[in-house]
Amino acid sequence: MNPTEIAENVSAPPIPVRGVREPRLEVHKFRTGAVVSASFLALLLQAFVPAHVWKGELVGDLIELPLLVTLYFGLSRRNPSRGLLLGMVIGMAQDGLSGANPIGLFGIAKTLVGYLASTIGARLDVEHPVSRMVLAFAFFHLHNLVCVFTRRWLLAQAVPLMSVRVLVASLVAALLAWPLFALLDKLRQDED
Amino acid sequence: MLEIATRRRPYVLLAVSLVFQILLLAVQVKRPDGARLIRVWAVELLTPAERAGSWAMDLIHGGWTGYISLFRANRENQRLREQVGELTMRNSELESRAAEARRLAALFDFREAHADAPMLAARVIGGDAGAGRAVYLNRGERDGVQPNMAVITPQGVVGKVLEVYSTTSQVLLLTDKNGGAGALLANSRTQGAARGSGGPLLQLDYVSNDQEVAVGERVLTSGMDKIFPKDLPLGVVVETRPGNPFKQIQVRPAARLDQLEEVLILLERKQWDWEPKPAEAAEAAKGAHGPAAKSATSATAAKAPAPAGGEAKVKP
Repeated sequence: MNPTEIAENVSAPPIPVRGVREPRLEVHKFRTGAVVSASFLALLLQAFVPAHVWKGELVGDLIELPLLVTLYFGLSRRNPSRGLLLGMVIGMAQDGLSGANPIGLFGIAKTLVGYLASTIGARLDVEHPVSRMVLAFAFFHLHNLVCVFTRRWLLAQAVPLMSVRVLVASLVAALLAWPLFALLDKLRQDED
Repeated sequence: MLEIATRRRPYVLLAVSLVFQILLLAVQVKRPDGARLIRVWAVELLTPAERAGSWAMDLIHGGWTGYISLFRANRENQRLREQVGELTMRNSELESRAAEARRLAALFDFREAHADAPMLAARVIGGDAGAGRAVYLNRGERDGVQPNMAVITPQGVVGKVLEVYSTTSQVLLLTDKNGGAGALLANSRTQGAARGSGGPLLQLDYVSNDQEVAVGERVLTSGMDKIFPKDLPLGVVVETRPGNPFKQIQVRPAARLDQLEEVLILLERKQWDWEPKPAEAAEAAKGAHGPAAKSATSATAAKAPAPAGGEAKVKP
């Protein structure tokens, strides 16, 4: 049983925040295998579609499906432990599939994204499409920031902090979040 | 505790996940010089600890070694102090023995140089409890000592035997108020009488004011007292001044009467040369005591009394 399955099968209550009287937010549950399947599919598409479908085209590098999947399940399940574990697994798998990155580069970034998304999801209503797009945009930049610092600090690579390409990719991620998150909402179990 | 751990679980999990992945990256990444990042980190992380440990060990080892060294040094210092004390005592004893040996050698040489004059070596064993101008010798009647025998040292006349007991005898020093000897001035051969004053000096009497007497002039025995042979050194003139009716002359005894330890008793009042001629001395030294005689000759030659020097006072 991998960490994702463990996270999926553990039912955790909403996390209380000390000193803050928070509204009661709904914790969504998903169908069995939904998280694993969605994550696997996102990794597969991320690894093979740019390489085999959009060969050499820049559009392939602009899409970050594993990030959006990590963000979605973190926001929906609202459990930081599960969120960070899912982010870590997806990130490390992405590193492994990319072949160019050392394992851990995307893993660190997506671990932080999963943790923070779960934390934010436990406090805010993230069901509205606009808020989802804004969060996707913001988390893309956070993800990029962590990756840049990791590359600079650990790998001694001279990587620019911000570029037009990154900005476009973040907008693409925000636009893609709307339909993708709506699609993933279909995997939720009925509450009643 | 368990509740705290449960509440902190996401943070712990986050920290563990991040650290794990950072280490995983460090294992994979190589620096330009070829060293893996994890190795560089490990070295950089452990070096200060190793340095601190080494410093602490050096400190402890140094402190311990210093303490041990100090302890040993203290013990050694104590032992050396004891040794220094023992050696100082030993040195003092040896110096005393050496001085005694030198005195006895001088006495022996003197006696060898005057082998024709029968004399007996004696040791001073005590002083007079009274005025302190008499001493006791370890020779007495059994040794042939008789009253009024002359007592001398290689430097000069000491006094005469006053009382004789079976194994000891009492000697009256020249400087005693009752002591004295017939005297003459070595240069002018003017005769007088040397008598003790109770002090450290002798008084030379019966020398007329007309007589020229120089400070530093030697005074010898005249032989007129029937005790001391003629021409034995009595002393040196240290002060002279006109008197009524005779000159007043102060004489410092030739023998160090305040430092007497060994003396010679003249068993016969026989006339002999205090300073024998070199040929006679060589003749006397023939036989077993050649070196002693040689040193006696040199010792005798060195016996010329030193002038009184700046100590002497001349009063008109």
